[in-house]
Amino acid sequence: MEVKICLIGKGNVGTCFLQLLKEKRDNIKVNFNFNCKLIAIFEHDGALINNDGIDLDDILEDYNNLRKNQYWKSNVKAQNLISTLDIDICIETTPTNPNTGEPAITHIIQALSNNIDVISSNKAPFYLQYEKIKNLAEKMNCLVKFEATVASCVPALSIKKNLIGNTISRIRAILNGTNNYILSRMTAEGISFSVALKEAQELGYAETDPTLDINGYDTAGKLVILSNKLLGWSKTIEDVKIKGITKITPHALELAKLDGYVIKHIAIAEENNLIVEPRLVKRESPLNIQGILNLIELQTINAGSIILIGRGAGGFEAASAILNDLISIAKKRRNRN
Amino acid sequence: MIYLEVKLPDIPGSLIELIKPVSQNGGNIYGVLHHHDKKINTMIPVDIWFELSEELIELSLENIKKGLIEKNIQLIKISLGSKNKVLTFILTGHVFDTDITDTIKRLGSKNIKVLELHAKFTEVDEISSVIMKVEFPEVMTKFESIAEIEKICKEKNLFLIRS
Repeated sequence: MEVKICLIGKGNVGTCFLQLLKEKRDNIKVNFNFNCKLIAIFEHDGALINNDGIDLDDILEDYNNLRKNQYWKSNVKAQNLISTLDIDICIETTPTNPNTGEPAITHIIQALSNNIDVISSNKAPFYLQYEKIKNLAEKMNCLVKFEATVASCVPALSIKKNLIGNTISRIRAILNGTNNYILSRMTAEGISFSVALKEAQELGYAETDPTLDINGYDTAGKLVILSNKLLGWSKTIEDVKIKGITKITPHALELAKLDGYVIKHIAIAEENNLIVEPRLVKRESPLNIQGILNLIELQTINAGSIILIGRGAGGFEAASAILNDLISIAKKRRNRN
Repeated sequence: MIYLEVKLPDIPGSLIELIKPVSQNGGNIYGVLHHHDKKINTMIPVDIWFELSEELIELSLENIKKGLIEKNIQLIKISLGSKNKVLTFILTGHVFDTDITDTIKRLGSKNIKVLELHAKFTEVDEISSVIMKVEFPEVMTKFESIAEIEKICKEKNLFLIRS
């Protein structure tokens, strides 16, 4: 079987995905019995399009080769060309506005409207317009997967299929490695928020502009995606009560420690409420994880607590989640055909 | 937790007679204490504490009392342990400048009793933090008690971190 794909956005995640695809293509062919043919790569200023398949080795050698390639077309936009391409799956990894979800929402809607399955690593479309995307996918009998949007390669969303005989009643999670790193350092060293943030930036754990992380917006978006997917809710980021971590002081952390607590930035989906805020957590709690790790605790009715822990960010982490989604969709397409 | 205080004759087998009506009515016994030092004539004060299922607590207690009377066991006192709930939280901001005594009093006026309080500050008029352990009545939900705390925090611009 041949699966024809296009990639929109060849940034860090997109490039890591192509590298991973190159590494694993033989393995995919042997184990899952399909060939993955890359038809198009869209960038902000044009696209590389070859209906016979793009040579991965060639484009991964040198990023600039993309624009020097004979198949490069300048000044074309994905939203205008998706409908003209013969592709099965669209992989969407563009830099996207966190408040509008664009251009990712347009790309996703365009792909689904043209009967193309979608994989995305962009959170915003799913915390802003999940219902619209889900309904369109159902109407067009298409698949949409977005495992990379929450905790990257940690199978936070796909675990649902392994819990179909159970019921998830509550989610508690640590979904932002930057914030968890800052709080871990403040707790361990007694340093101020600003010093811990600067350290995180120097180590590459925090963005130059960390606003979306430290004010809790990034975590809130991920919580919406988790609760919609795992609990079957229809929430948007507007429904989340959000508090960030900027007001946490070394004094507060010291007081917490004296009473056997730590302070963690927790995302909670419980009793139809979505909350992101700093909480006192018992030192011995499984939620007390250190550094840049993410954690998702699913409280189930029949099996108590189930906990997933792992690295929640990084190019190859996200790329491996995208590849999982790709294999999963390819298997379903084979069954569908 | 239910605390039962009785007087038993200091003879073998009398403790069994006390335990029977408790266990036969669903009591999960946690402890028994003989006050030999308080023995008067042949009677020893004995404390027993146990738990009962919430749904059956009234009926079970009635049956236990009846059972004790039938066995001529002298019942001194039955008391139910505190059912109040406890919550720990931290307030950060101008905790002292905004009158912490007033904060405590206002919590008290909503039946939220401060059990413990510890503070950390550099100067009283600078940003400081307090950790409080409070007790709120059983009739109040945790959500309701937090809503009361949040009201005060909003008014005094204090940052709440709760358990």
